[in-house]
Amino acid sequence: MGRNVLVLLIFTILPKCQLLAEDSVNFSRHILPILSENCFSCHGPDQSNRKAGLRLDTAEGALKVIDLKNPDKSELIERITSKDEAIVMPPPESHKKTLLDHQVKMVKNWIKDGARWGKHWSFEIPSKADIPLGYSNPVDAFIRDRLRKEKLKFNNQAPAHTLARRISFDLTGLPPSPNEIKAFLESGDEKEYLKLVDDLLNSKHFGERMAMWWLDAARYADTDGYQGDETRTNWPWRDWVVNAFNNNMSFKQFTIEQFAGDQIPNSSIEQKIATCFHRNHMTNGEGGRDPEESRTEYVIDRINTIGTLWLGLTLGCAQCHSHKYDPISQKDFYSLTAFFNSIDEDGKAGKGAKPLIPYESPTIPRTIKESQTLVDQRKKIEQDEKLKAQKPFDEWLKELLKNLNLNYKSWDAPEVIALESSEGTLLKQLPDSAITATGPNPRQDDYRISLRSNKKRITGLKLEVIADSSHTNNAYSRGKSGFFTLTDIKVQTRKINGSQVRDIPVANAIADHSDDPKKHSGYGDIKNVLDDDPRNGWSTRDANNTQNHHAIFALAQPLQLAEDEILIFELRHRSTIGDANIGKFKVYTTSELGPVLKSLGDSPTEKVSQLKIEDIENIDKKLRELLFEQFLADHSPYIQAKFSLDRAIRQLEETKAAKTTNIMVLQERKEPRKTHVLTRGIWNKKAEEVQLAIPSSLGNWPASKPKTRLELADWLTSDKNPLTARVTVNNIWQMLFGTGLVKTSEDFGLQGEQPSHPELLDWLAIYFMENNWDLKKMIQLIVTSQTYRQSSIRNQDTILKDPENRLLSRGPRHRLPSWMLRDGALKISGLLNSEIGGPPIKPYQPEGVWEEMFMGRFKYEATDGPAQYKRSLYSFWRRAVAPTFLFDSAQRRVCEVRISRTNTPLQALTLLNDATFLEASLMLSIKINSASLSTDESIKAIMTQLLFRQPNEIELAILKKEHGKNLAFYENHPSDAEKLIISIKRNIDWNGELKLKKIEHAKIAANTLLASMIFNLDAAVTNE
Amino acid sequence: MNNPVDNSLCVTRRHFLGKGTGLSLGSIALGGLLNNSLAGEESLKKPGFKPAAKRVIFLTQSGGPSQLELYDEKPNLTKWAGKELPDSIRNGQRLTTMTANQKQLIMPSRVKFSRSSKSGATVGEWLPHVFSIADELCFIKSMHTDQINHAPAMTQFLTGNQIPGKPSIGSWVSYGLGSDNKNLPEYLVMISRMQRPSDQPLYDHYWGSGFLPSSYQGVKLRNARDPVLYLRDPDGLPSEIRRNMLDGISKMNYLKLEQSKDPETDTRIKQYEMAYRMQTSVPDLVDFSNETEETFNLYGPDSRRPGSYAANCIMARRLAERGVRFIQLFHPDWDHHSRLSSWCVARCRDTDQATAGLIKDLKRRGLLEDTLVIWGGEFGRGVAGQGQWDSTEAGRDHHPRCFTIWLAGGGIKPGITFGSTDDFSYNTQDDPVHVRDLHATVLHLLGINHEQLTYRHQGLDAKLTGVEKSRVISKILI
Repeated sequence: MGRNVLVLLIFTILPKCQLLAEDSVNFSRHILPILSENCFSCHGPDQSNRKAGLRLDTAEGALKVIDLKNPDKSELIERITSKDEAIVMPPPESHKKTLLDHQVKMVKNWIKDGARWGKHWSFEIPSKADIPLGYSNPVDAFIRDRLRKEKLKFNNQAPAHTLARRISFDLTGLPPSPNEIKAFLESGDEKEYLKLVDDLLNSKHFGERMAMWWLDAARYADTDGYQGDETRTNWPWRDWVVNAFNNNMSFKQFTIEQFAGDQIPNSSIEQKIATCFHRNHMTNGEGGRDPEESRTEYVIDRINTIGTLWLGLTLGCAQCHSHKYDPISQKDFYSLTAFFNSIDEDGKAGKGAKPLIPYESPTIPRTIKESQTLVDQRKKIEQDEKLKAQKPFDEWLKELLKNLNLNYKSWDAPEVIALESSEGTLLKQLPDSAITATGPNPRQDDYRISLRSNKKRITGLKLEVIADSSHTNNAYSRGKSGFFTLTDIKVQTRKINGSQVRDIPVANAIADHSDDPKKHSGYGDIKNVLDDDPRNGWSTRDANNTQNHHAIFALAQPLQLAEDEILIFELRHRSTIGDANIGKFKVYTTSELGPVLKSLGDSPTEKVSQLKIEDIENIDKKLRELLFEQFLADHSPYIQAKFSLDRAIRQLEETKAAKTTNIMVLQERKEPRKTHVLTRGIWNKKAEEVQLAIPSSLGNWPASKPKTRLELADWLTSDKNPLTARVTVNNIWQMLFGTGLVKTSEDFGLQGEQPSHPELLDWLAIYFMENNWDLKKMIQLIVTSQTYRQSSIRNQDTILKDPENRLLSRGPRHRLPSWMLRDGALKISGLLNSEIGGPPIKPYQPEGVWEEMFMGRFKYEATDGPAQYKRSLYSFWRRAVAPTFLFDSAQRRVCEVRISRTNTPLQALTLLNDATFLEASLMLSIKINSASLSTDESIKAIMTQLLFRQPNEIELAILKKEHGKNLAFYENHPSDAEKLIISIKRNIDWNGELKLKKIEHAKIAANTLLASMIFNLDAAVTNE
Repeated sequence: MNNPVDNSLCVTRRHFLGKGTGLSLGSIALGGLLNNSLAGEESLKKPGFKPAAKRVIFLTQSGGPSQLELYDEKPNLTKWAGKELPDSIRNGQRLTTMTANQKQLIMPSRVKFSRSSKSGATVGEWLPHVFSIADELCFIKSMHTDQINHAPAMTQFLTGNQIPGKPSIGSWVSYGLGSDNKNLPEYLVMISRMQRPSDQPLYDHYWGSGFLPSSYQGVKLRNARDPVLYLRDPDGLPSEIRRNMLDGISKMNYLKLEQSKDPETDTRIKQYEMAYRMQTSVPDLVDFSNETEETFNLYGPDSRRPGSYAANCIMARRLAERGVRFIQLFHPDWDHHSRLSSWCVARCRDTDQATAGLIKDLKRRGLLEDTLVIWGGEFGRGVAGQGQWDSTEAGRDHHPRCFTIWLAGGGIKPGITFGSTDDFSYNTQDDPVHVRDLHATVLHLLGINHEQLTYRHQGLDAKLTGVEKSRVISKILI
């Protein structure tokens, strides 16, 4: 929230308290914000836009319009109070409001007091105030001191189950398990609470929770983000982050390694990997892109990131012009970029994004083993199914032989019911069922052939292109050359009386001959008729030109045509030169699967039909194998087993490919680049040359130190820098309370919001530095405070006096981040795979999300087996389209430290219908053995698992009522119960593994929905 | 069910409105902040002045359609065929690295143009249907942008800034105006379904909310079993059962509200209801069975294929009828570096009849007068041939200095051409229109002063039109 809102809050909602708390006007806290908000855009540090040569960001400048002897006569006062549109400041065309009366009054009082000048608070080195008396925890002392001034007091401590849940989510991103908190819930005492805090801080999940904060800020993703959105393999850096937090690496060391791991003497490979932090920006490998433009963008992104995450400053504003509000000049900005301007990079993206170092993650053997185990399991199932299929195969074959006519044909020509073209060719069907093109011969044309088939299903189409004497050179078309070029085909269906068509996906295309596309400007390959691209397609110029050519198109799924449905086969001739439309052709369909769709020769069924009776007993081995293949392709238990096996094999291959990763790191080039100010921030508009330096408003570079990234990191995390400790402590505070002590956690500058508790913020910052930047110690101090442990329930007093809880008169209450909701559901249902680190995983996501963004270039296949249930932190993050199951997440494009928290219907839909939540609901209902429980017991059990408490009577009545209706429904509709369970079972072999009895289906279905209901409750999605 | 909680215990609604992170009270935009849950405060929804258009249909053509083949006729170029582009025209213009080292040899347009006798509009022969409605359109031939590569240019075209992270124009509009429809999101996005794997993905930041709360981001309306992600309940869960569940959740949440007195809980109750309304209204929206044969014929054969650009055009009209505020279609693959006569033709065929059909359909239903339709892509294409200029292989490289878009409907003068380019369609000549001017104009048509639609971000009152001066193109307004 901006300053204007703060001012409004102070003077409308909290009119008295703020003024009571302050005896006199404070320049930094009261006057500077007014000047910044209303004056600096024209009279601030940016000289290029400065009006009337007046600057109000320095004492010297301001004194030109201040009359200390006659405060009310000061031009400053006259201007801000004038009723004349031509005189009043800020002027109407700035769209800024005239100053409010109390603001004017403050400015007047300030001038009367002598117009004392000072720095913006955050540019002063923090100072340690005395801790107010009365509380052992300094956090409580400062918070209570302020509350007392507002005549407020601490709220009661939250109930033990609420507190246990809160601390567990806050420190590990996971709900506790009942065991973990048993001791605390039973005793509720201080000692057990402290022990719980210790356990959580030492949990391996602590590092994961912290890492999610860091990954959002570090704009970490698994793809480049531009153009092809190439995959990168920087994930070992993500594991480095988790480990660093788990090992409680000091924030100073954490900073140094990420800035300059490569410059630490004798650095380890892990320290070098740490520098990947500064390579996590997006990269653009677009064809026509100037790499130097991209490189410049990356360097600037690093500085903006440092600005947000370490300095809490909007440095990016100084990229194009000097900062309008903060004392950061454009020269300061580019002097800072100089630290990162000589990386040995060249602006390229994808696999060429050097410098890279190869690395093999220690998690690899484990993940390969996991994938291999899955393949082995699936392989066995597949083999078993194959064996089991022998018997039905024998029966099928017997039946086939009995019914097969001599010289049976697998393909036949369906009835043609309509022939159309889009550009004017007249298509006619001949008595032998061939179709010829007559009449006009346009340069390009699309043929639409509507067919009706009496086959109960269709599995593929065959196209025969016929050489004919009526064509040029007795070949295939009426065009100049006689050749044909088929650019694309479409298969669709349509109801006879319906308006819309349905696209039928075609999985594969084969032909007796395909030209080499290299020889014919891209045309030749039959496979390319499936891609909607008119620049490629099928041609047969280099084949024997007197014989007919054949192509087979295998449908992705067998197609069942309804009685009133027609099949549409579209042949598109849209090649660049054109004049190559097919002149005569036939269309066939088949209903068989297997080898018939994979080769153009006689199908196994055709072969067997040609055998003499006496040979049938001894069908040769090869033919028998082909027939078995055909049978298996149609045998659903086997298809399922094979499908699962293939998936597992693909996953194993992916895992093996993840073995060697190339990690983008920092490394200096031999010859440093010169750094220039860039006019208006444009990459090739170089102005004045600059040297490495830190902004002078932040301090002085120690003369003895060399100017390197290593030293920059050291300076950033030193007590000479006024910002980093404050900013970091504030980020931690925000993580624990939902809002920072400085609400604008990304902006500690003049336009940022002032701290609600400045003394506490400074005290914590100094404590943090004095304790060697120890994050766990800092967190422990905060979460063991009474402040943190308060109940979040509002009472009349706090609603009126502390509506937003900025005074901390109650505990935090906010919706959990979506990733914690997912991880929590996995843990509660027992699905969670708690292994740390490893290659990215792909949690469930609705089908088609990647395909529609890339027109099919990337396909999202959810991870199979136990890896599916790893934490959200490990999800593959495609920048072009972020994981759909996460909402209100950081965008991972630029650094973000304050993620928006909204409340939308789409979130409700996600929590109701996302596959993970549904599967977790099912598994939870099974885990508590709900089939054998009464309704009351089920409700109680689920509530206990999810909310760590029993329902009260009203709650029980509400849930019982709705659950009762659902249970009755499923008891009356057992097939719906089964459908529900099947549709959400996903990875679970529920018949085998779960061994559900049919009689239990209704109960399991209803209990699954009961669990889902409770997962969706405000109480369950909120950290309270 | 009545809210059992004494409202006085909740934070007041007006205070609550101020709660969004970064929200500037100086802005006029508060409408949809909480997605209708608080939209009762009508006064907050009123635009700055009376709007000419109530909604937008943005037909986004991704990849950079060639103005030289589609709209910007330059008959004199035949004289220059194969000759080098004069330096005085090029004037230091940057090229992409794809053609930077190649001679800039002029390739005249590959098409014949038709000229409307009434409005004088010129349209290339690959768009015969668009020509038939040319008198309804306002062509801007002097558009220009700063970016020469796709993603930065499209990002600028849609968010005003080349670096991702700023809100898209649709998000700004839904932030500024909220929705007229209580059952559907105010900003919906559709992508044409194609088979061709695209090198230029459509990044979700093109319709993202940037630094605005994510509730303003465009919602993708998909051609899939789930038209909106997670909309569809699993099999075996009929809507009566979903209703029971939602009743249970709602009652439990009211109990919670009584205890917590947290306005977020109140909002959550309303959002779950809105979710249910979406579940019931979207299936009706995507069911085209009440569309007539005549309509499908109007939009062309591809409109029968769900997910096609043409079908999405019908959907756009259906959304307009339902009061959705900002409807954006994306048609990819206009990046014709080679083979204009097959590649560019293919994209024209995908879109020509349906685009014209949409304008005609909106008009006859009385919707065109308050619907602003925008057609355009992120930049244009250069006059020089890429590849051997006189071969069929040749295409055109990116060109940011001039390109053509058109507008139609709400508040726009029909049948005019605004701005012009030089003889080479290389530089803008009269009335250049920058992308930010277009943005200012679109907001103006919706009743929003672009200077006043702001959101506090990183200490600045950020605007769609950014910090540089932009202007409303008043000459094209009725």
